[in-house]
Amino acid sequence: MKTLRSFPGNRIIWHAIIVGVVWLLLLLLNNNIDPLYSSYLALVAMYATAMFGMTILVGLSGQVSLGNGALMAVGGYVFALTSMNWQTVPFFGWEWNAIWSMVFAGLGGVLIGGIIGGLAARLKGPYLAGLTLGVAVGVPAITNRFPELLGGENGLMLTVPYPAGGYAAIDAGGEVATDEGGDAAVDIETDAGATGEDQQYAELDLSEFDQGTDPLAEEDLLTEDDLLTEDDLLTEDDLLTEDDLLTEDDLLTEEDFGAGGDLGIDENVVDPTEDPGVDGAGLDGTDIAGGGFIDGFDSEFIIERWQASMAIAVACIVAFAALNLVRGRQGRVWKAVRDDPVAAAVVGISPSGSKVSAFVVSSLFAALAGAVFAQILSFIGPGAFGLGLSLSLLVGIVLGGRASLLGAIIGALLLVWLPELVDGLSGERGWPEQITNNAPNLLYGLLVVAVVLLAPGGITGTFKSWIDKAKGRGRATLS
Amino acid sequence: MTNFVDYLLGGFSNGAVIALMALAIVLVWRSTRMVNFAQVGQAMFTTYVALTIQQSTGSWILALVVAMAAGLVLGIVVFFLVIRPVKNSDSTGAIIATFGVLIALQAGAGMIWGGDPQGFLTPVDNSGIEFAGRIWPISLYDVLVLVVTAALVIGLTLLFTKTNLGLSMRAAAFNPEVARLSGVRVNRMLITGWAIAGATGAVGGVLIAPVSTISPNSFDILLVFAFTAAVIGGLDSLIGAVTFGIGTGLVISLVSGYSDSGNAPIVALILLALNLLLKPDGVFGHHGARSV
Repeated sequence: MKTLRSFPGNRIIWHAIIVGVVWLLLLLLNNNIDPLYSSYLALVAMYATAMFGMTILVGLSGQVSLGNGALMAVGGYVFALTSMNWQTVPFFGWEWNAIWSMVFAGLGGVLIGGIIGGLAARLKGPYLAGLTLGVAVGVPAITNRFPELLGGENGLMLTVPYPAGGYAAIDAGGEVATDEGGDAAVDIETDAGATGEDQQYAELDLSEFDQGTDPLAEEDLLTEDDLLTEDDLLTEDDLLTEDDLLTEDDLLTEEDFGAGGDLGIDENVVDPTEDPGVDGAGLDGTDIAGGGFIDGFDSEFIIERWQASMAIAVACIVAFAALNLVRGRQGRVWKAVRDDPVAAAVVGISPSGSKVSAFVVSSLFAALAGAVFAQILSFIGPGAFGLGLSLSLLVGIVLGGRASLLGAIIGALLLVWLPELVDGLSGERGWPEQITNNAPNLLYGLLVVAVVLLAPGGITGTFKSWIDKAKGRGRATLS
Repeated sequence: MTNFVDYLLGGFSNGAVIALMALAIVLVWRSTRMVNFAQVGQAMFTTYVALTIQQSTGSWILALVVAMAAGLVLGIVVFFLVIRPVKNSDSTGAIIATFGVLIALQAGAGMIWGGDPQGFLTPVDNSGIEFAGRIWPISLYDVLVLVVTAALVIGLTLLFTKTNLGLSMRAAAFNPEVARLSGVRVNRMLITGWAIAGATGAVGGVLIAPVSTISPNSFDILLVFAFTAAVIGGLDSLIGAVTFGIGTGLVISLVSGYSDSGNAPIVALILLALNLLLKPDGVFGHHGARSV
């Protein structure tokens, strides 16, 4: 091991192997668990991506920033806007795909993070925290400033580039117009518990993916002829009679489903009240499977699994970069400046440069996580990316272990798991909603205080110091 | 021009509340050299206490007094449970701990009083005063806010300049070691600082609640404004906090008047960033905001 460590190239190979194995294991896990758990896995991977950046910023560089939620919003908005508006890569003319959107989301994060970091990273702790707090609180104001572009308070619904329309090539036809009214989007909440609802939106969006239909053409515009006339009024004859009631024969059998598979089927497709004439004979497999709305997906496509595998891919790539940075020269530079800026300057390290670089790296990770989050929610808006999200990231990183990448992963698990645990408990004990909704945050707040006071290294730091103690070595709290 | 004057006048009472919150932040900074990011959370919590008192007894004065007492107690509790243990160990941890307190207080308030915004009745009329043939943008309630704020500021000034306690507190803040050697009980002074800050913030909360509404998160924005004012004032200057608190209120009022109230946080952010960039020690301050 000693000889391996002396060759930096080999260390990178080791990191690649570790991350590769974890990636494979996670993909295996993802393919064999219930889709519900896949959606949790997606959230954990997303939080972990953002929190690797927090490890570097808060843990290694010692800067408490609340701006990372806002930087996630930057990534999410850039992803949404580029994937909805650009068909080709500007200047190069290459065909657009979702990976380009991720790249641009990352670049957006680096740009904004560089600006904030350049301003803030030389400030002492409380000033930095205060300024970035202002950024976090200001996000909704900024989105409201540009309602046309950013959708204001309601945010933007975005079309997630599922593989059919493709991570290979986004189909221009598959785009949903931005919903200014956006009432569906209003009640999306930041907490992980709300994703059940969000998943619904994601599923509904599937219907837009039919065989690359064109955007609405002029012929589709409603003309005067389309106005309802008196003849269109329903008369008594139109009332449903007993004959219209569906009988047992009308029940769909398994055969009717064809390739429908596991996909949630849009209710409207088989709504018998809409057309009294529908009878059993009219409904065969082609009406559902052949209707086109699930074309392009094979029957195995499960949206939660896709979300999880996408989030895992991003998290693993980011983890690889973070591992190399943290365990390489740059990691030592960050720690040196954190522990003693003057001594670091004496040995030729630029303290402010090091702090800004930590800020920019964490901004990049945050923006990528934001792009993933936007795809998971198929929505981006100020409500989901406000101060609460920034505080969650801080909570996660403190509980998991401030200066450890493993701590970031544990923190991400806690952020997703604790609300579910409380939800389950409250279901059993019948707690009122007011208690259930706030219990996770109360726990987070108290735990953060307790961890800072009693175990500043968080979960990983505490384990590490136990192990060190068992080995008879000295105490190590903050890595 | 009439607009300009109206907007300015309308900003005073908001500015007074921001000044109180900034004052609370400065008091804490002076006693323990840290920013209490839970300050506004504490104020939110005590304002809910005041709301409960007002709803059950109908007395605004009683509500204000109880809120002040609750703020005093909460300040002491937070100091003993959180700040004193963490203060000397780890400065990053201290900042994080105050955010932990903020999260817990907001969740606790949500648990007890629910998350929906609630109204808070004003003790006096809150519509514009009619005088000299026109309606002015200042209400009787705004006057009350200004009077209460002025009384508190004068009281604090007298405390710090005319009493032994104030002198000891200033000594403990200025140089704890020397103060301790001169017989000042420094720890007791720190607690007093936190307690007074808690009460000051509580008054600010009760004063702003009728104008905005109160919900667990509704004061978040106030924290940004107050922090901005305190930092521009120099973080350890009481005069600076009051001056720039009111100044921030006026700027916000002008921004809201001429464009949209939603832009106020952006303007506050720009002010804060410019200040930290150009004059990081603030206007009345004399310590280093920049470390490197």
